[in-house]
Amino acid sequence: MDVLKIFVVEDNELYAKMTNHHLSLNPDNEVEIFRKGKECLDNLYKRPDLIFLDYSLPDLSGIEVLRKIKQTHPEIPVIIVSGQEDVSTAVELLKEGAYDYIVKDENAKERMWKATNNVKENARLRDEIEKLREEVNSKYDFSNIIGNSQAIKKVFTLIEKAAQTNITVSITGETGTGKELVAKAIHYNSKGKSKPMVAVNIAAIPTELLESELFGHEKGAFTGAVNKRIGKFEEAQGGTIFLDEIGEMDILLQAKLLRVLQEKEVTRVGGNNTIKINARVIVATHRNLAEEVKKGNFREDLYYRLLGLPIELPPLRERDNDIMLLAKYFVNEFAKENKLGKIQISSEAQKKIMSYPWPGNVRELRAVMELASVLADDGKIEPENINFNSTDSIGDLLSEEATLRDYTSRIIKHYLDKYNKNVVLVAKKLDVGKSTIYRMIKNKEIEI
Amino acid sequence: MADKIYDLSQLEELAGGSDEFVKSMIETFLEHTPGQLNDLVQAYRQGDLETMAGIAHKIKPNIDLFGINEIREDIRQVEKLGKTGQNSDELPALIDKVNTILNKSFEQLKSH
Repeated sequence: MDVLKIFVVEDNELYAKMTNHHLSLNPDNEVEIFRKGKECLDNLYKRPDLIFLDYSLPDLSGIEVLRKIKQTHPEIPVIIVSGQEDVSTAVELLKEGAYDYIVKDENAKERMWKATNNVKENARLRDEIEKLREEVNSKYDFSNIIGNSQAIKKVFTLIEKAAQTNITVSITGETGTGKELVAKAIHYNSKGKSKPMVAVNIAAIPTELLESELFGHEKGAFTGAVNKRIGKFEEAQGGTIFLDEIGEMDILLQAKLLRVLQEKEVTRVGGNNTIKINARVIVATHRNLAEEVKKGNFREDLYYRLLGLPIELPPLRERDNDIMLLAKYFVNEFAKENKLGKIQISSEAQKKIMSYPWPGNVRELRAVMELASVLADDGKIEPENINFNSTDSIGDLLSEEATLRDYTSRIIKHYLDKYNKNVVLVAKKLDVGKSTIYRMIKNKEIEI
Repeated sequence: MADKIYDLSQLEELAGGSDEFVKSMIETFLEHTPGQLNDLVQAYRQGDLETMAGIAHKIKPNIDLFGINEIREDIRQVEKLGKTGQNSDELPALIDKVNTILNKSFEQLKSH
């Protein structure tokens, strides 16, 4: 903000003139004087940044003018200037939304000057926050999730639906498919986008610390709790709490989480008071939670409570042409960021990219393409620039020189993991009888 | 010429060296205050103490600004008595003093 537009509402000519002179010492201040309350109200459309309002005006009382301003333009700070100090009036005016109360004495001009600077600083910060918020919003716009495949378009539709309400969302998908990106896209397109999005990776926090991390704790709740701490649920108030790797949560804590979700309130560890929570919950996991429920690792009641709107992210290998689209996108972005000039991908290299299963999904693709961009000569990526460092690549496997039986069981296990233990599908893919697979499982040649 | 009954140091400090500003402030003072003073006396004579208090309230900062310190407290007393609505014995003398001193200040300021 360059110019600060200031209204001075003052019927005393002298005082008005003096205020004008004083405030205009700063060339950034643009002062306009009004003699009557009504004149000020009629000119509010000019959107002043600050109003100095004399308390006793000929037409309307200061409190009437203040109320009218606050009704239509609650964001404009109004500073009451009064001929005498009257604490009860001052308190009442502040309650009605006045920004400050200044008495016309020898300190008045200092205080007006200070108030003007405060308002200016606040406006500058507000502008900056607004700008940053917009930046963040555009960063997590839908356009950051790239793809044209049917599989990903279905995800876009679900994100849009999720953003319209505050329903709980559960995101599943293999590692590297972009679960956090989807959570952010939902948050930054929903009503609570100006409120915080708080992400917690359940797998990254030791079980014994997780409870206080999520729900907070009071001072002295346990050894080492020297200070009170606000939990992530409280932090996310009005916004979104994103619980990543929810499948890794300890079964005892699951019971507490369930209670929080049902009651919509938390109790800090060691505390007695409950705190109302109104954050949207988004959970994500790479596990099949239904399976975990069957195995007894995940509470069934919590599973249903969290299911909400399920969004299943497709693995990259099922996203057809998105693989090439993304590969090119990552190469372009990397080249732009590092000023490498245009980099192309040769058709042999493209074939190599398309025929790889991408177990690490988009994350792996990005890493591989960035490395390829660095290794590429003459602005062209060739097959030898593309290195898969996946742990179960066939080259590594062969170098181990295991028995054929061992290889067979490992290959089948790999497929079973990949296709969600769907024996019929795997048998078809590998062109073996499903009874072979069942027999191997029964004989413990394959562990699942 | 008698001793000045006003003190422009506060005004000059505000002006920050701008004689023009001081001049224009004196002009404004002379333009508005005599009328206000007239209204004040009228209201007093008509026994409209509430209006009188309101006008005193408006004149008060002018008196402070021009450093007319002789009636600094008197104008406040006029406002206070007017507000409480009691036609005190003090009032005639106070009004008279404010009237005299302010008129004197008008004369002096005209030749500033």
